[in-house]
This record gives sequence, C-alpha cells and structure tokens, in this order.
Amino acid sequence: MITDMLIGLPAQRPGGIALTIILTVGSASGAVVLGMVYAVICVGLPWLSLGLQAALAVARGVPVLLLVFALGQFTSLPLVVAGYLALLVYSLCHVGETLRGFLASYPRELRDQSRVLGHGPVRDWVLHRLTWTLSNSMDALVTHWISLLKDTGALTVLGIGELTTVATTLSLTSDVSQWELIIAMAGLIYLTVAVIGIQSLELLKKKMPPTERAVI
Amino acid sequence: MLTYVAATCVLWALSGFLAVAAALVLTVGSASGRARWRWLSGGAITLCRGLPTSLLVVAAGVISIRIPPQRWLLNPFPGTPEAAAPVAWAVLIALAVGSAGHLAVIFRTAYATLGRARLEQAIVLGLPPMRRLSLLSGESAMAALPPTSARLVHHLHNTAFAALFPVADLFGWIENGANQTFDITRYVVAGGAMYVLLSGLIWASFKALEMWLGRHLAPAPAGTRLGLPALGGAR
Repeated sequence: MITDMLIGLPAQRPGGIALTIILTVGSASGAVVLGMVYAVICVGLPWLSLGLQAALAVARGVPVLLLVFALGQFTSLPLVVAGYLALLVYSLCHVGETLRGFLASYPRELRDQSRVLGHGPVRDWVLHRLTWTLSNSMDALVTHWISLLKDTGALTVLGIGELTTVATTLSLTSDVSQWELIIAMAGLIYLTVAVIGIQSLELLKKKMPPTERAVI
Repeated sequence: MLTYVAATCVLWALSGFLAVAAALVLTVGSASGRARWRWLSGGAITLCRGLPTSLLVVAAGVISIRIPPQRWLLNPFPGTPEAAAPVAWAVLIALAVGSAGHLAVIFRTAYATLGRARLEQAIVLGLPPMRRLSLLSGESAMAALPPTSARLVHHLHNTAFAALFPVADLFGWIENGANQTFDITRYVVAGGAMYVLLSGLIWASFKALEMWLGRHLAPAPAGTRLGLPALGGAR
C-alpha cells in the first residue's frame, strides 16, 4: 500500500506522491514565469491592464475541479497534459496576483538608488525589481505551492494516478475498516512533503545573504 | 438555488473572518521577540498549511456529527437543518483552520517587505505598539491585498467540502441537482457561473480597497517613508 502511495499503482507508474510532486513543480515553475510577465504588465500599465486582471479574476473564480474537468472533457489533449495545463492556469491565477502585489510594493528608495547608479531600465527591472520581488514574495509563493500540492487531488476526476487517486482507488478496493488508515496515511504523506518543502526553503534562505526579520 | 448561494456566502464570510483573525494572531506570534511564541506560532502555521483542508473538514464533520443539537447553538446557515448545526459550525472552524496558516504567511511576508529601516522609523516615532502595528499594516497592505484576495477565492472554493455533510452549500446544490435530474451540464454551468460571480465580487472589493489605499496612503517624497527621512536609505 505504501509503495503504491509513493510511486503509484503498478499499472500507472510514475504515480502517487511522485507524480503529485512532478506535476506541482512543473505547473508551479511555468506559473511563476507567466506570473512575472503578468505582474510586470499590471504594474507597468495599471489602468490598461485592468481587463487582463479581470480576465484572470474570472479564471480564478472557476473551481479547480471544474477547470480540470473542462480541459479534460472539451479538449483532445492527453489527460496528463490537460491536467498539467489546468494546474498551470490555476497556479498562474494565484501566483500572478501575489507577484503583482509585491512588485507594486517595490521601495522607492531602491528605485532611486538604481537611478543614481545609472542602471538602465532593463538592468533595473531584471537585476533589481524582479529579483527583489521574487525574494520578498518567496514565503507567499511557497504557501501557494503547498496549496497547489494538495490541490493536485482534483486530477482524480480525470483518473490521473496521483496520490489522491491512489488513495481513493485503494479505499474502494479494500475493507471499510482500512479507509481511515488509508486516508490518514495520505494526509501524513502530504504533510511530510509540505514540511520538507518548507524546511528546504528555510535552509535555502539561511544560505542566502541575511535578510531582515520583522519584529512587532 | 438562492438559499444555497446564501448558505455558501454565510459559510465563507464567517469562516473567512475567523481565518483572518486567527492569521493575524499567528502573524503577531510568529514575528514576536519571544522564542516560545515564535516556535508555537510557526508550528501551528506549518500544521495548518500541511494538512489538506478536505481532511480537516472530514475529521471535524465525523467528530461533530455525533453531537446532538444544542438549544444555545445558533443556526445562521440557510438551508441547513437545526439538527446539523453542530456539524456546520465544526465545518466552519475546519475551513478557517485550513486557510489561517496560508493567510498568516501572506501577512508576515507582506509585513517583512517594509524592511528594517521603515520598522526602525516607526519605533523612533515613539508610537504605542498597537498604533505602530496599525500604521505598518497600512503600509504593507499594498503587498498583502492581492494574495489575500486570491486566497479568499480559494477559501470560497473550499466551502464546497461542506457538501460531504448535511450542510447546505452551492456545491451540494450542484451535486444534488445533477444526481436527481441527470442534467449535469446545466447544474455544473449554473453553479460554476455562480462561483465565478462570487469570486469576481471578492476580487472587485479587494481591487477597490487597493485603489482606495493607493489614493489615501500619504505619498511620501522620494527616499522617505512615514514622513521621516529613510534610515540608511539613499536620497
């Protein structure tokens, strides 16, 4: 049972938590790149981009379960690709807004410093603003990625063998008394991966130059 | 359908309010100067974020379904029978716990973007702690509002887990309607559109608040914040 949860059912490998992690990392990476483009457009053209922001708000309003179902049913894409795209759109809707908020808060002092140092617009945006935004919003992004990791369970409607699908399949094929154990084990695996992710980030942050910690 | 939409709104508003309040407490705790509070708040945040909300709701529902209805317990949930009020409250608390950790991290991260110089300026001003906190919260709101809005939309979608129990909500309406009539498309489209509408309202409210804050937060001259020269910042 534990092997199936970790690497998937024998007929659907890679699956289980391994597939969950692959899909999460893949869709999160794509969403960060697209989200950064979205944030730059919105901060650069706050009024003209209102339509784009509203469009993303509409996409964000569609429950991820319906998004997965719609892409799986109404496109001829392979199911895994449809699932990946649904997660990408879902993640972009959240990551884009997070990056927009933090990019808009870029301190004026740093902007002035960059101007005094004679940095051109491209260098200013790439070296300073985007780097500052990514490093300062990292915790908020990670908290979304943890959410994304758990929401990959929506792919169960397409029968993609990630952890929730495996847990559901095992529950259906085993005795009722085993249900609680299977669900608890799936929850524990999600929690373990989330904690490992959080701790890895903390380690990464310690290796980076010291940052300021707010004390209230 | 309107009853179920109202039920979802009540569930979202009450659990969202509870989640934001809990998140604020966790944020203050995790940024505290005392190691014990930081450790406790950090642990609670990790646990809230790591456990799937669906599991929290299932656990809360399974535990509370055995509790008989209490006369003193209010039932503000439209369409939910009196007998299911304890379950509805338990689901509401589980939903709040599921979002509190995420919101706390958003608040903490936004607060940290202010930087040490601005935090020191606020201390130099000699304001009482609550006044200082309120001032700095306003300053960090521009970074916090967009991700908070997105998280509250996610929170709205999470209310669908209430359908696992006899608690009225929009997702339950879709499920029951589709099962009873086999007209799946109609119910899915109508329900999905309603979720989009409610999410749009959340986004529009936060966008309006963001614009209002952008206009009303006093624009400081270049190189300054809080009306004082930036400590260690370039002019």
